[in-house]
Amino acid sequence: MNNLIYGVWNGEVYDCRRGEASKATPSLVGLDDFAPHNKTRAFVADRGFLIFERDTSLIKAFSQYMTQAAQESCGRCTPCRVGTQRLRDLLWEFAEDQADESILDEIEAIAEHVANTSLCGIGQSTPRALIAALRHFRDEFKPISPAQAVFQHSFTYTTAPCIEACPSKVDVPRYIDGVRDGKFDFALGVVLDNYPMAGACGRVCVRFCESACRRAMAEAPVGIRQIKRFAADQAITNNRLHFSKPAEKHDKSVAVIGAGPAGITCAYRLLLQGFKVDIFDAQQAAGGMASIGIPSYRLPKDILKKETEDVVRELGGQFYYGKALGDGLSVDDLLKNGYGAVFLAYGASQGTHFGIKNEYPDLDGYITGVDFLFKVYQHVEAGKTFNLDGDVVVVGGGNVAMDCVRSARRMGAKNVHLLYRRTEEDMPADREEIVAARDEGVLYHFLTNPTGLVVDNRRVKALELVKMRQTERDAKGRRNVEAIEGSTYTMPSDLVIAAIGQQVERNVLKPGEGIELDRDNCVVVDPETLETTRKGVFAGGDCVLKPQTLVHALGHGERAAESIADYLLNGAVSIKPEYRMQEVLKKNGLLKDECLEKPVVFRPRVVSPELDAVARSRNFDEVEHNISKEAAYEETERCMRCYRLYSLVTERELAGNAS
Amino acid sequence: MKARINDKEVHFEPNQTILEAARANGIFIPTLCEYHDLDHTPGTCRVCLVEVRQPGSDEAQYLTSCNTPMTENSAVRTMTPKVQEMRRFQMEMAMSDHNEDCATCTRQGDCELIDAANSTGLKKIRFHYTKAWMPPEAGTKPVVYDKSRCIRCYRCIAVCRKVQDIDALEADGWGPTAGVRLKAGTYDASPCVSCGQCVMVCPTGAMSERDQVQEVVDYIADPDIVTVFQTAPAIRVDLGDEFGLPPGSNVEGQIIAALRRIGVDVILDTNFGADLVIMEEGTEVLGRLKAKAGPTFTSCCPAWINYAEKHYPEILPMISSTRSPQAVMGKMIKTYLAEKRAIDPAKIRVVSIMPCTAKKEEAARKALSENGVPDVDIVLTVREFARLIRRYGLDVGRLEPSTYDDLLMSEYSGAGAIFATTGGVMEAAVRTLYYVVNGKELEGIEVTGLRGFENVRSATVEVGGELGSIRLAICHGLRGTRKLVEAVLSGEEKFDFIEVMSCPGGCVDGGGTPRQKKSYIPFAKKRQEALFTLDRQKKPRQSHNNTQIQKLYADFLETPNSEKAHHLLHTHYTARGCGANADIPAAWAELKDQRTEERRQRTEDRRQNPA
Repeated sequence: MNNLIYGVWNGEVYDCRRGEASKATPSLVGLDDFAPHNKTRAFVADRGFLIFERDTSLIKAFSQYMTQAAQESCGRCTPCRVGTQRLRDLLWEFAEDQADESILDEIEAIAEHVANTSLCGIGQSTPRALIAALRHFRDEFKPISPAQAVFQHSFTYTTAPCIEACPSKVDVPRYIDGVRDGKFDFALGVVLDNYPMAGACGRVCVRFCESACRRAMAEAPVGIRQIKRFAADQAITNNRLHFSKPAEKHDKSVAVIGAGPAGITCAYRLLLQGFKVDIFDAQQAAGGMASIGIPSYRLPKDILKKETEDVVRELGGQFYYGKALGDGLSVDDLLKNGYGAVFLAYGASQGTHFGIKNEYPDLDGYITGVDFLFKVYQHVEAGKTFNLDGDVVVVGGGNVAMDCVRSARRMGAKNVHLLYRRTEEDMPADREEIVAARDEGVLYHFLTNPTGLVVDNRRVKALELVKMRQTERDAKGRRNVEAIEGSTYTMPSDLVIAAIGQQVERNVLKPGEGIELDRDNCVVVDPETLETTRKGVFAGGDCVLKPQTLVHALGHGERAAESIADYLLNGAVSIKPEYRMQEVLKKNGLLKDECLEKPVVFRPRVVSPELDAVARSRNFDEVEHNISKEAAYEETERCMRCYRLYSLVTERELAGNAS
Repeated sequence: MKARINDKEVHFEPNQTILEAARANGIFIPTLCEYHDLDHTPGTCRVCLVEVRQPGSDEAQYLTSCNTPMTENSAVRTMTPKVQEMRRFQMEMAMSDHNEDCATCTRQGDCELIDAANSTGLKKIRFHYTKAWMPPEAGTKPVVYDKSRCIRCYRCIAVCRKVQDIDALEADGWGPTAGVRLKAGTYDASPCVSCGQCVMVCPTGAMSERDQVQEVVDYIADPDIVTVFQTAPAIRVDLGDEFGLPPGSNVEGQIIAALRRIGVDVILDTNFGADLVIMEEGTEVLGRLKAKAGPTFTSCCPAWINYAEKHYPEILPMISSTRSPQAVMGKMIKTYLAEKRAIDPAKIRVVSIMPCTAKKEEAARKALSENGVPDVDIVLTVREFARLIRRYGLDVGRLEPSTYDDLLMSEYSGAGAIFATTGGVMEAAVRTLYYVVNGKELEGIEVTGLRGFENVRSATVEVGGELGSIRLAICHGLRGTRKLVEAVLSGEEKFDFIEVMSCPGGCVDGGGTPRQKKSYIPFAKKRQEALFTLDRQKKPRQSHNNTQIQKLYADFLETPNSEKAHHLLHTHYTARGCGANADIPAAWAELKDQRTEERRQRTEDRRQNPA
């Protein structure tokens, strides 16, 4: 960043007011060109502030920042509740030339007090930049000039490490607050403000939020997923969650292709905004991969149905089952038949093959992971016969592989083996899944890779394997694996399952439809708006991202709904400043590298009750149970509410949210 | 592990907080929101600041001692000038949005907030934020919340969750409007049973009983009205606290003297009602035992009745139909007493002094009224009663004790006297049951197996005769009650007779008794002992030997459970349920309120029109 005039960042003071600074200025990407044709004047954050235009009003920037801080204060602790209001008022007093400079001493004293003694991140972090400014650049505090009054605006974004880590940007501390406060429905409402599948996410989410949780620096991350499930189950399992159909506000209708998490979320959000939505799906039930791919011992189907089909129906959405794109249904037809926009969310449901010798798709005793899970699904949910016996060998190290081994145990397989070419530590699957499968009797074989199928009369008899070893660390510190020569052996098996990944299906979209695909068959979209290359057609979820997590799909569904609504109402899709700010935070790692500044009382992380390994390994009953109310309350107390405020000061008002 | 506090070496356990370590070493740190007896450290007031230097660091940290652990070899200072100044400023801010209109506050003269302010040496409050104040709740609920006096300690929520397991309250509001409210929006839909424990732990006057002192003063002043007072079994050992007497002092005589000085027309004792309840309920239980009709629950406690109606309606048929002592008194006053003394019942106003908030609600039950006129007109808690007495310039400690002069409804037995403590109702009932079954008095009178303080107790008592031994259970506090009720409903536990008192300790420590600062029911044992002493001094000690009770049956009610007794002294209960569907649009409205745009505008307004 070339144009820094002055500022304080991470404790370093930068002063270029009389020419070049003596040291390298901090380089933050994405601030200069935050908004097109709108000059970035300043940036105010927890780590400091940076001024990029000489005539920026420091006092106005901080007045607006503290106004936002006072708004964000939850009001529980005294210094934040009262102190942020007091700071806001004194800053504005000075900004509007109603007080002399002595007030700045008072402001500094209060700011220090609030930062030092507040309970959570809001009060602790928001006065820091102000304190630095008053210490090092007090001479820049002057009442607002008439020009500054007009040509200076702030956009302030409030977030936390857990929120930014979440692909769906769910306001995690706020729903934790809700449970702590005893407002379970409010907590659920916070999640439902983003997507409808709170109970599903509360059961199977991979928890990017928990990986980012600062409480890990004390003992362990907050049990965020368990808290979410707790809030969701209070309403869902007691049948207390119902929606009424919103008034139809717009005569535009939207076609959603795929009733998986992305499609359902997009439909849900458009319906709530008063659009008409029809959903098409190849299957006979909603849920997509969350239904077929996630076995019911992890996510019971009744919960899933309530949060997908039932919610969308209550909101007035229509389902058309047994309808797949490319199979009598085309984007052309949909747009011709009056849909104002189309959302493609048809997923990535084709299993990946090994590419080893003797591997033919229609062999007996050989199946991909996703096809196996589909057969299990049809057996458990629709009673279709599927006999499983003998030795089952699953290859893969991800969560789908874990779903396969655990389902195979439950289907009655005698021995279930899991093969993975790297080590246990390298497995991308959740730790809890690996442990649970082992408890259920699954046998692991690490550093083992398949090289061929042993086939007799179109039937797989065994799997040919080779042993692997780890190579030395490369420059990045990563260890790869390589085959050990001459270590080939065979493992007899009645069913081999290739759970090494999924792909987007081919031939769904016709070449003439004007929708660009990449070489993996994924739909090409603008990552900020999810617009495809065809006007009025949007895409999201696995068919864009390749197989990704549930919460990625939910996040895409939300963003698609925003874009589609924008497109239908305004004819074009604008980019929300929130999205831009999220990019800035991510690219500059602004929520990372923090430490705990104060000692914290040790509080152990909550443990969910589980069915005993013996009791659960032969049926599809839900394994993990909800935590008790007492445990939920205890767990919420571990949240440190690491909220941070980021304020971008621009010449003109940013669209959407600015003061 | 060791560290230094104020240069003195102290030893501490891992994970022990600075506040705990300081207290263990006799070092005082001012606190406000913290409530040790409930292990409640919300860390919201931020007053308990201390200076900490971690080993090897010269930097002073200013940390709240209540929720910061001691660290090995750290140096803590509790009274540096900087620490004192920070605490003072914290208090200044805490006071700046507190409604410091002490003259109109129910906690006047007895306020933990003032104590905390004094302990920091606060001398000035330079600014005020009052825009978020709202008038206290109106309506007829026995407990009233005034947000303008709330300091956001959330002790009320903690006691409701941890002690009572009712969980009726939730944190409400945002920023300046932060406070508490009932779950589910209304009292009826909320799990609240009006037990009043929230009032007992509130450090200020934010949670209070609905004050009805003025209504009583007006009745007393009205020459056309005949005021009839009854005081509950607990009052005589509770009231003294309010006038600085030692805990557990029996001030029955002073209460009578005070009421006489005030000009109350008829002074009665609810203990008489307790004896009457034993006659009715005992007979009822005997009938149910003979008919093998399953367990009977007591019915004296109105919060318990609320609890059963709202949370366990399936248990209602097992609850004794006998009215509570307050309610039998109300009915007997407006029928029997009115008839015998030739007073027009329409002119009578019955005022009950109760250790209870839920009794206010009980008095308003339709089933406890006659042609729309309630049998009990007004219920005052002990706290209101103390205010009433002060209205007449009286000090209970200085009054010469007096005695009852009513010959119809003021005598009571030792059994009636112990009604107010956990196990007391049961013991009183056993004394009479034994007599009815065996035709002779229980030897030794006292049933010590029923006494104690555990939240759930059970005992098998040999009653003899055709009943043999019966299984009894006693619980106080609703957390234990839930366990017991569930065990009974599931068939896991079989009892014949079960006493429930919603407040831990029983009525002597009820939600309407004097509040104690920073400690939860500290005088429970002393009050219990005082009642046992009263029982031992009393003659007779069994309800059936109360001569005025015998006269009541002979002259008016015929026999226990007679048709007339049934009509006048029994009641019924109604399943009410509670809870509501999840109101997600309301959640979204609240979320929107917490988030930026709307609030920004309102904040700007506030800024432009400062308070």
